[in-house]
Amino acid sequence: MLFLDPEGFLSALLSGGQKAATLTLSLLAVYSVWLGFFKVAERSKLSEKLSRAVFPAAKKLFRSNDREALMLASCNLSANFLGLPGAPTPLGKRAAERFCAAGENYAADMLFVLNATSLQLLPTTVIALRLSYGSGSSADIFLPTLLATLFSTLLGALLVFLTRKRRS
Amino acid sequence: MKLFSAIVPALFVALFIYALIKKIKLYDCFADGVKEAIPLLLSLFPYLAAMLMLSELFEASGLASALTDLLAPFFRALGIPPEISKLALLKPFSGSGSTALLSEIFASYGADSYIARCACVAYGSSETVFYISAVYFAGTKKKTAKPILIALFSNFAALVLGCFLCKFL
Repeated sequence: MLFLDPEGFLSALLSGGQKAATLTLSLLAVYSVWLGFFKVAERSKLSEKLSRAVFPAAKKLFRSNDREALMLASCNLSANFLGLPGAPTPLGKRAAERFCAAGENYAADMLFVLNATSLQLLPTTVIALRLSYGSGSSADIFLPTLLATLFSTLLGALLVFLTRKRRS
Repeated sequence: MKLFSAIVPALFVALFIYALIKKIKLYDCFADGVKEAIPLLLSLFPYLAAMLMLSELFEASGLASALTDLLAPFFRALGIPPEISKLALLKPFSGSGSTALLSEIFASYGADSYIARCACVAYGSSETVFYISAVYFAGTKKKTAKPILIALFSNFAALVLGCFLCKFL
Protein backbone atom coordinates (compact mmCIF):
# COMPACT_ATOMS: atom_id res chain seq x y z
CA MET A 1 0.00 0.00 0.00
CA LEU A 2 2.83 2.39 0.90
CA PHE A 3 4.54 1.62 -2.38
CA LEU A 4 1.35 1.72 -4.41
CA ASP A 5 0.65 5.19 -3.16
CA PRO A 6 4.02 6.88 -2.60
CA GLU A 7 2.49 10.34 -2.54
CA GLY A 8 0.26 9.37 0.33
CA PHE A 9 3.30 8.55 2.41
CA LEU A 10 4.66 12.05 2.75
CA SER A 11 1.23 13.60 3.05
CA ALA A 12 0.44 11.24 5.92
CA LEU A 13 3.64 12.28 7.69
CA LEU A 14 2.91 15.93 7.08
CA SER A 15 -0.62 15.65 8.35
CA GLY A 16 0.74 13.93 11.47
CA GLY A 17 3.17 16.79 11.97
CA GLN A 18 0.40 19.30 11.42
CA LYS A 19 -1.71 17.59 14.04
CA ALA A 20 1.20 17.62 16.48
CA ALA A 21 1.67 21.35 15.90
CA THR A 22 -2.00 22.21 16.45
CA LEU A 23 -2.25 19.86 19.41
CA THR A 24 0.81 21.45 21.01
CA LEU A 25 -0.66 24.90 20.59
CA SER A 26 -3.99 23.94 22.10
CA LEU A 27 -2.15 22.14 24.91
CA LEU A 28 -0.21 25.34 25.53
CA ALA A 29 -3.49 27.10 26.25
CA VAL A 30 -4.76 24.33 28.52
CA TYR A 31 -1.48 23.87 30.38
CA SER A 32 -1.10 27.60 30.91
CA VAL A 33 -4.43 27.76 32.69
CA TRP A 34 -3.84 24.75 34.91
CA LEU A 35 -0.17 25.27 35.65
CA GLY A 36 -1.02 28.81 36.73
CA PHE A 37 -3.82 27.44 38.87
CA PHE A 38 -1.62 24.82 40.50
CA LYS A 39 1.25 27.23 41.09
CA VAL A 40 -1.11 29.38 43.13
CA ALA A 41 -2.39 26.30 44.96
CA GLU A 42 1.18 25.23 45.64
CA ARG A 43 2.47 28.54 46.89
CA SER A 44 -0.54 29.19 49.10
CA LYS A 45 0.18 25.75 50.62
CA LEU A 46 -3.38 24.68 49.82
CA SER A 47 -2.39 21.63 47.78
CA GLU A 48 -0.07 20.54 50.56
CA LYS A 49 -2.88 20.79 53.08
CA LEU A 50 -5.35 18.90 50.90
CA SER A 51 -2.92 16.19 49.90
CA ARG A 52 -1.99 15.54 53.52
CA ALA A 53 -5.37 13.82 53.87
CA VAL A 54 -4.75 11.42 51.01
CA PHE A 55 -1.03 11.13 51.64
CA PRO A 56 -1.01 7.80 53.54
CA ALA A 57 -3.19 6.20 50.87
CA ALA A 58 -1.03 7.60 48.07
CA LYS A 59 2.09 6.31 49.78
CA LYS A 60 0.65 2.79 49.86
CA LEU A 61 -0.66 2.97 46.31
CA PHE A 62 2.58 4.17 44.73
CA ARG A 63 5.03 2.63 47.21
CA SER A 64 7.08 5.77 47.22
CA ASN A 65 8.27 8.24 49.80
CA ASP A 66 8.82 11.19 47.50
CA ARG A 67 6.56 13.80 49.08
CA GLU A 68 6.41 16.16 46.15
CA ALA A 69 5.82 13.47 43.54
CA LEU A 70 3.10 11.91 45.69
CA MET A 71 1.41 15.27 46.07
CA LEU A 72 1.47 15.81 42.31
CA ALA A 73 0.18 12.29 41.74
CA SER A 74 -2.72 12.69 44.16
CA CYS A 75 -3.68 16.01 42.59
CA ASN A 76 -3.49 14.29 39.21
CA LEU A 77 -5.83 11.51 40.32
CA SER A 78 -8.37 13.93 41.81
CA ALA A 79 -8.32 16.07 38.67
CA ASN A 80 -8.89 12.93 36.60
CA PHE A 81 -11.76 11.87 38.76
CA LEU A 82 -13.47 15.24 38.54
CA GLY A 83 -12.92 15.23 34.78
CA LEU A 84 -11.30 18.68 34.74
CA PRO A 85 -10.40 18.92 31.07
CA GLY A 86 -6.62 19.09 30.55
CA ALA A 87 -5.74 19.47 34.22
CA PRO A 88 -4.42 15.96 34.93
CA THR A 89 -1.77 15.81 32.21
CA PRO A 90 0.73 18.48 33.33
CA LEU A 91 0.51 17.22 36.92
CA GLY A 92 0.88 13.59 35.91
CA LYS A 93 3.77 14.43 33.63
CA ARG A 94 5.67 16.12 36.44
CA ALA A 95 4.94 13.31 38.88
CA ALA A 96 5.99 10.68 36.32
CA GLU A 97 9.21 12.58 35.63
CA ARG A 98 10.10 12.57 39.31
CA PHE A 99 9.22 8.90 39.72
CA CYS A 100 11.28 7.94 36.67
CA ALA A 101 14.25 10.06 37.68
CA ALA A 102 14.31 8.35 41.07
CA GLY A 103 14.07 4.95 39.40
CA GLU A 104 10.70 4.26 40.99
CA ASN A 105 9.35 2.29 38.08
CA TYR A 106 6.50 0.78 40.03
CA ALA A 107 5.13 4.20 40.93
CA ALA A 108 5.52 5.46 37.37
CA ASP A 109 3.77 2.40 35.93
CA MET A 110 0.95 2.66 38.45
CA LEU A 111 0.42 6.34 37.74
CA PHE A 112 0.40 5.75 34.00
CA VAL A 113 -2.00 2.81 34.14
CA LEU A 114 -4.40 4.65 36.45
CA ASN A 115 -4.42 7.55 34.00
CA ALA A 116 -4.63 5.42 30.89
CA THR A 117 -7.62 3.41 32.12
CA SER A 118 -9.64 6.58 32.70
CA LEU A 119 -11.27 6.91 36.07
CA GLN A 120 -13.63 9.70 35.22
CA LEU A 121 -16.74 10.08 37.35
CA LEU A 122 -18.96 11.72 34.74
CA PRO A 123 -18.34 11.18 31.01
CA THR A 124 -19.21 14.81 30.23
CA THR A 125 -18.00 14.83 26.61
CA VAL A 126 -20.06 11.81 25.68
CA ILE A 127 -23.19 13.05 27.41
CA ALA A 128 -22.95 16.45 25.72
CA LEU A 129 -22.38 14.82 22.33
CA ARG A 130 -25.35 12.47 22.73
CA LEU A 131 -27.53 15.38 23.72
CA SER A 132 -26.56 17.25 20.57
CA TYR A 133 -27.64 14.24 18.48
CA GLY A 134 -31.10 14.33 20.01
CA SER A 135 -30.78 11.59 22.60
CA GLY A 136 -33.84 11.22 24.82
CA SER A 137 -31.91 9.92 27.80
CA SER A 138 -28.38 11.14 27.34
CA ALA A 139 -27.24 10.27 30.85
CA ASP A 140 -28.30 6.61 30.85
CA ILE A 141 -24.83 5.48 29.76
CA PHE A 142 -23.51 6.83 33.04
CA LEU A 143 -23.86 3.58 34.97
CA PRO A 144 -22.41 1.14 32.40
CA THR A 145 -19.53 3.53 31.69
CA LEU A 146 -18.79 3.99 35.36
CA LEU A 147 -18.82 0.24 36.01
CA ALA A 148 -16.68 -0.48 32.96
CA THR A 149 -14.15 2.19 33.76
CA LEU A 150 -14.02 1.20 37.42
CA PHE A 151 -13.37 -2.34 36.29
CA SER A 152 -10.58 -1.33 33.91
CA THR A 153 -8.90 0.82 36.55
CA LEU A 154 -8.99 -1.89 39.18
CA LEU A 155 -7.83 -4.52 36.73
CA GLY A 156 -4.98 -2.30 35.56
CA ALA A 157 -3.85 -1.52 39.09
CA LEU A 158 -4.02 -5.19 40.01
CA LEU A 159 -1.95 -6.18 36.98
CA VAL A 160 0.70 -3.57 37.80
CA PHE A 161 0.78 -4.89 41.33
CA LEU A 162 1.05 -8.51 40.24
CA THR A 163 3.76 -7.92 37.65
CA ARG A 164 5.95 -5.74 39.87
CA LYS A 165 9.59 -6.52 40.37
CA ARG A 166 10.28 -7.39 43.94
CA ARG A 167 12.90 -5.21 45.49
CA SER A 168 15.44 -6.83 47.74
CA MET B 1 -25.08 18.71 34.70
CA LYS B 2 -25.56 22.35 35.68
CA LEU B 3 -24.15 21.62 39.08
CA PHE B 4 -21.24 19.76 37.62
CA SER B 5 -20.19 22.48 35.21
CA ALA B 6 -20.11 24.88 38.16
CA ILE B 7 -17.19 22.97 39.69
CA VAL B 8 -14.48 24.59 37.59
CA PRO B 9 -15.36 28.25 38.28
CA ALA B 10 -16.01 27.39 41.92
CA LEU B 11 -12.55 25.83 42.21
CA PHE B 12 -10.87 28.90 40.74
CA VAL B 13 -12.77 31.39 42.88
CA ALA B 14 -12.18 29.38 46.05
CA LEU B 15 -8.47 29.07 45.35
CA PHE B 16 -8.01 32.75 44.53
CA ILE B 17 -9.84 33.85 47.67
CA TYR B 18 -7.75 31.47 49.74
CA ALA B 19 -4.54 32.75 48.13
CA LEU B 20 -5.52 36.36 48.78
CA ILE B 21 -6.18 35.57 52.44
CA LYS B 22 -2.73 33.97 52.58
CA LYS B 23 -1.33 37.20 51.07
CA ILE B 24 0.05 35.54 47.95
CA LYS B 25 0.94 37.77 45.01
CA LEU B 26 -1.76 36.18 42.94
CA TYR B 27 -0.96 37.70 39.56
CA ASP B 28 2.80 37.09 39.69
CA CYS B 29 2.34 33.63 41.06
CA PHE B 30 -0.13 32.63 38.36
CA ALA B 31 2.23 33.98 35.71
CA ASP B 32 5.07 31.96 37.24
CA GLY B 33 3.02 28.82 36.80
CA VAL B 34 2.17 29.66 33.20
CA LYS B 35 5.88 30.07 32.48
CA GLU B 36 6.38 26.36 33.14
CA ALA B 37 4.05 25.45 30.30
CA ILE B 38 6.55 26.32 27.59
CA PRO B 39 9.50 24.09 28.61
CA LEU B 40 7.02 21.32 29.34
CA LEU B 41 5.61 21.50 25.84
CA LEU B 42 9.02 21.88 24.22
CA SER B 43 10.10 18.61 25.78
CA LEU B 44 6.83 17.05 24.70
CA PHE B 45 6.59 18.16 21.09
CA PRO B 46 9.13 15.76 19.48
CA TYR B 47 7.40 12.74 20.97
CA LEU B 48 3.93 13.94 20.08
CA ALA B 49 5.02 14.65 16.53
CA ALA B 50 6.65 11.26 16.08
CA MET B 51 3.68 9.45 17.58
CA LEU B 52 1.09 11.31 15.51
CA MET B 53 3.05 10.77 12.30
CA LEU B 54 3.18 7.07 13.03
CA SER B 55 -0.52 6.87 13.70
CA GLU B 56 -1.29 8.81 10.51
CA LEU B 57 0.83 6.32 8.58
CA PHE B 58 -0.94 3.47 10.30
CA GLU B 59 -4.26 4.86 9.15
CA ALA B 60 -3.19 5.89 5.64
CA SER B 61 -1.37 2.66 4.85
CA GLY B 62 -4.59 0.73 5.28
CA LEU B 63 -3.06 -1.27 8.11
CA ALA B 64 -5.64 0.10 10.51
CA SER B 65 -8.62 -1.02 8.46
CA ALA B 66 -6.95 -4.34 7.66
CA LEU B 67 -6.49 -4.90 11.37
CA THR B 68 -10.11 -3.97 12.04
CA ASP B 69 -11.31 -6.48 9.44
CA LEU B 70 -9.01 -9.12 10.81
CA LEU B 71 -10.17 -8.64 14.37
CA ALA B 72 -13.87 -8.20 13.64
CA PRO B 73 -14.83 -11.89 14.04
CA PHE B 74 -12.90 -12.02 17.28
CA PHE B 75 -14.66 -8.92 18.57
CA ARG B 76 -18.03 -10.32 17.52
CA ALA B 77 -17.37 -13.53 19.42
CA LEU B 78 -16.89 -11.44 22.55
CA GLY B 79 -20.18 -9.64 22.06
CA ILE B 80 -18.75 -6.41 20.67
CA PRO B 81 -20.67 -5.10 17.65
CA PRO B 82 -18.38 -4.77 14.58
CA GLU B 83 -19.17 -1.05 14.31
CA ILE B 84 -17.54 -0.60 17.70
CA SER B 85 -14.33 -2.44 16.93
CA LYS B 86 -13.06 0.43 14.78
CA LEU B 87 -13.71 2.87 17.61
CA ALA B 88 -12.03 0.58 20.12
CA LEU B 89 -8.95 0.31 17.90
CA LEU B 90 -8.80 4.03 17.16
CA LYS B 91 -9.25 5.35 20.68
CA PRO B 92 -5.77 4.48 21.99
CA PHE B 93 -4.22 6.49 19.15
CA SER B 94 -6.42 9.47 18.61
CA GLY B 95 -8.80 11.35 20.88
CA SER B 96 -10.12 13.70 18.22
CA GLY B 97 -10.40 10.89 15.67
CA SER B 98 -12.47 8.77 17.99
CA THR B 99 -14.70 11.71 18.92
CA ALA B 100 -15.40 12.19 15.21
CA LEU B 101 -16.12 8.48 14.83
CA LEU B 102 -18.47 8.58 17.83
CA SER B 103 -20.46 11.40 16.21
CA GLU B 104 -20.63 9.38 13.00
CA ILE B 105 -22.05 6.43 14.91
CA PHE B 106 -24.63 8.69 16.56
CA ALA B 107 -25.59 10.12 13.18
CA SER B 108 -26.00 6.79 11.41
CA TYR B 109 -27.51 4.64 14.16
CA GLY B 110 -29.29 7.21 16.34
CA ALA B 111 -28.01 8.37 19.70
CA ASP B 112 -30.21 6.00 21.71
CA SER B 113 -29.53 2.76 19.82
CA TYR B 114 -27.71 -0.18 21.36
CA ILE B 115 -24.73 0.43 19.04
CA ALA B 116 -24.51 4.06 20.08
CA ARG B 117 -24.67 3.20 23.76
CA CYS B 118 -21.93 0.60 23.35
CA ALA B 119 -19.91 3.22 21.52
CA CYS B 120 -20.38 5.62 24.43
CA VAL B 121 -19.07 3.05 26.86
CA ALA B 122 -16.18 2.17 24.53
CA TYR B 123 -15.32 5.83 24.26
CA GLY B 124 -15.81 6.73 27.91
CA SER B 125 -14.13 3.78 29.54
CA SER B 126 -10.85 4.02 27.66
CA GLU B 127 -8.19 6.62 27.14
CA THR B 128 -5.77 7.69 24.44
CA VAL B 129 -3.16 5.30 25.81
CA PHE B 130 -0.40 6.10 23.32
CA TYR B 131 -0.79 9.80 23.77
CA ILE B 132 -0.59 9.51 27.55
CA SER B 133 2.45 7.26 27.33
CA ALA B 134 4.13 9.70 24.93
CA VAL B 135 3.47 12.53 27.37
CA TYR B 136 4.31 10.77 30.63
CA PHE B 137 7.34 8.85 29.51
CA ALA B 138 8.79 11.48 27.16
CA GLY B 139 12.55 11.75 27.63
CA THR B 140 12.82 9.04 30.26
CA LYS B 141 14.72 5.85 29.64
CA LYS B 142 12.07 3.68 31.17
CA LYS B 143 10.74 0.52 29.55
CA THR B 144 7.19 1.34 28.53
CA ALA B 145 5.94 -1.84 26.88
CA LYS B 146 4.61 -3.43 30.05
CA PRO B 147 2.48 -0.55 31.35
CA ILE B 148 1.12 0.10 27.84
CA LEU B 149 0.10 -3.52 27.44
CA ILE B 150 -1.55 -3.53 30.84
CA ALA B 151 -3.48 -0.37 30.04
CA LEU B 152 -4.61 -1.65 26.63
CA PHE B 153 -5.65 -4.98 28.04
CA SER B 154 -7.61 -3.42 30.92
CA ASN B 155 -9.39 -1.03 28.60
CA PHE B 156 -10.26 -3.88 26.30
CA ALA B 157 -11.64 -5.97 29.16
CA ALA B 158 -13.72 -2.97 30.22
CA LEU B 159 -15.08 -2.68 26.69
CA VAL B 160 -16.25 -6.30 26.71
CA LEU B 161 -17.89 -5.77 30.09
CA GLY B 162 -19.42 -2.46 28.96
CA CYS B 163 -21.02 -3.91 25.82
CA PHE B 164 -22.44 -6.70 27.93
CA LEU B 165 -23.81 -4.29 30.54
CA CYS B 166 -25.41 -2.12 27.87
CA LYS B 167 -27.81 -4.96 27.10
CA PHE B 168 -29.38 -4.66 30.54
CA LEU B 169 -28.73 -1.23 31.95
